[in-house]
Amino acid sequence: MSTRLVGSVAATLAMVLVAGCGGSSGADGKIELSLGLFSDFGYDKLIEEYMASHPNIKIEQRKVKMEQHNTQLATQLAGGRGAADIVALEEGVVSQFRASKDKFVNLAEYGAKDLKDQWAGWKWNQGTTDGGEFVLGLGTDMGSLGLCYRADLFAAAGLPTDRTEVAKLWPTWADYVKVADQFTAKTPNVKFVDTGRNVYKAILDQTEEGYFAKDDSYIAESNDKVKAAFDTAAALGTKQQTGALEPFSQDWNVALKQGSFATTTCPAWSLALIKAGAGDAAAGKWDVTKAPGEGGNWGGSFLAIPKQGKHPKEAYELAKWLTAPEQQKRIFKETGNLPSQPKVYQDAEVLATVNEYFNSAPVGQIFASSAESLKPTYRGTKDSKVGPVFGTALTRVEQGKQSAAEAWTQALKEATDAAK
Amino acid sequence: MTVTRQETEAAPAVSVSPSKEPKRFRLSSWDARYTPYLIIAPFFLVFGIFGLYPLVYTAWVSLHDWQLIDGNQGFVGLANYVELFGDSKFWNALFNTLSLFVLSTVPQLLAALGLAALLDRGLRGSAFWRAGVLLPNVISVAAVALVFAQFFGRDFGIVNFLLGFVGIDPIDWRAETWASHLAVSTMVMWRWTGYNALLYLAAMQSVPKDMYESATLDGAGRWRMFWSITVPSIRPTILFTVVTSTIGGLQLFAEPALFDPGFAANNSTGGSDRQFQTLVLYMYEKGFRLFDAGYAATVAWMLFVVVLVVAVVNFTLTRRIAGKG
Repeated sequence: MSTRLVGSVAATLAMVLVAGCGGSSGADGKIELSLGLFSDFGYDKLIEEYMASHPNIKIEQRKVKMEQHNTQLATQLAGGRGAADIVALEEGVVSQFRASKDKFVNLAEYGAKDLKDQWAGWKWNQGTTDGGEFVLGLGTDMGSLGLCYRADLFAAAGLPTDRTEVAKLWPTWADYVKVADQFTAKTPNVKFVDTGRNVYKAILDQTEEGYFAKDDSYIAESNDKVKAAFDTAAALGTKQQTGALEPFSQDWNVALKQGSFATTTCPAWSLALIKAGAGDAAAGKWDVTKAPGEGGNWGGSFLAIPKQGKHPKEAYELAKWLTAPEQQKRIFKETGNLPSQPKVYQDAEVLATVNEYFNSAPVGQIFASSAESLKPTYRGTKDSKVGPVFGTALTRVEQGKQSAAEAWTQALKEATDAAK
Repeated sequence: MTVTRQETEAAPAVSVSPSKEPKRFRLSSWDARYTPYLIIAPFFLVFGIFGLYPLVYTAWVSLHDWQLIDGNQGFVGLANYVELFGDSKFWNALFNTLSLFVLSTVPQLLAALGLAALLDRGLRGSAFWRAGVLLPNVISVAAVALVFAQFFGRDFGIVNFLLGFVGIDPIDWRAETWASHLAVSTMVMWRWTGYNALLYLAAMQSVPKDMYESATLDGAGRWRMFWSITVPSIRPTILFTVVTSTIGGLQLFAEPALFDPGFAANNSTGGSDRQFQTLVLYMYEKGFRLFDAGYAATVAWMLFVVVLVVAVVNFTLTRRIAGKG
């Protein structure tokens, strides 16, 4: 009896241990590739096509929420197993993973450098390190910035509703704040913007250096542009002109549905989120126009290949195909994810694209022209640790818990700690 | 206990007749001696792998500068602990943890006791009620948290809507420390009150009925009987629930995490000014958002110590209170 018990315990343990180690070559001799993604990359159809044209390859997509994706990937890289063969790295965290480049395949080994000219220069640079010698990831989409507004709420406040006229209202962010004052004076019960945090991020994304200088040194304390962006956003918060909402949260969705705010900063990829949140009832009410200030970039991703994968060569071929111009164009048409390659975003067909939900706004033109003037912000290695600190500081101002000055002081202290 | 008694009885038998039935006897002696250990061995084996090893390994990690992805960056001794004791965010998280624990556990166990007493009175359809009180516990914590987060919404939440009827201004449940603690505690109470009530009920049903009968004859009221007979009789169960609730309550994570709308957006600090950041949330922030595994391990060890201390204090306290009768 006792020996049998010990035997069965040993057997159970053995099973647990064996189950822990998955193989990556299927029983049918096919090469199995996994793709670790978050949100919608628009790859479903493309992957089926790729499998049809490459009968020896089987592809599996794993989609989780972005936060979970980053955390999972970090633990998988640390543990040396479990990561997908190809993983998506979002622009906000790519710098963080760049610091652990020895866990990734240098795509230059497979000839990635020959592809360099496909992408906008800055997009290519974000995915490389060591002065361009180490290619960490191939760019997927990008997030050039627009500004979304509700035409009906603008009309109620006596503001113009035509998107060209609206764009003329706010050449700079200071003008945007003035429009907010006019809006609030007429319709005090509607918030002008969803959250000061996104205004802050949008302004900062239009500068070339934010929290870190291009040599990766921490400059948030001395960079006037950080302070200026913070003050602009905090002013909106102090005057209770923001909805004090957590961006893209459930509360944000409800507020969209209730029409309780009139503008929101919108990178190309957020159009789908606004549409989903506001629902069919608001079709045609939202519109897109040029954002104040110069063009900026927020978001967009890269496909990278962790070293622990068993088939880096095949994974590279797939990543290369998925990020190629032809595929980026198709993805844009299906999901609205903005291509990061000039050849595609200057394509006549892409430029002619309109988004019916957003009052048939010419999104191709708006986002492509914003992409042209774009000066991307340098993201430091610790950018993703420092950034959120200023976001929560603005929330404190919006909640009325702190004055703008108090929130700034506390944020700066926390940011300096995080940057250590 | 049984084992030792068998051994002492067996010992003289060996000296009297060593040659009689030697093999069979030796086997049964071996059996009596070691089988109990073998039977409980799997638990200790599994505990060793999944409990003790991580515990020791975490202690080891906490003595290093350890980055989540890049691993060990060198031995730093107690530097992480020194930093922790001077870290106001740690003390804030500790305060939040203890506050949430008291706010959720004390009313929860009292309510469970009352609920169990009601269920013990032989209601109609008792099976229905008993299953009913357990229902909140079988629903996934994520679902509960999402629903409660909506209830406690600032702009369109039903709680603020109802408070409006009695003339109370809308409360920003996530901005104020006390309000957020109240909201999170409500979630915890909702999930665990019924579960504890069932444990109490099971214990109450084994209290001999004649004790109540004689107490009635002596003229004791329901209230008096409850505190003088029921509560002291179910003391072991109360001690058990106090200890398990302490362990669970101090490790609060899912409820405050999902109450924070920032959790999905990679900046979950448990409120804009860490109003409801518990120790586990702080550990999560350090380890999985800032990738500082060494410091996170330090927080984990401090949490372990805190749980141990509070559990012992609660155990002693409850034993004394419930023992008085």
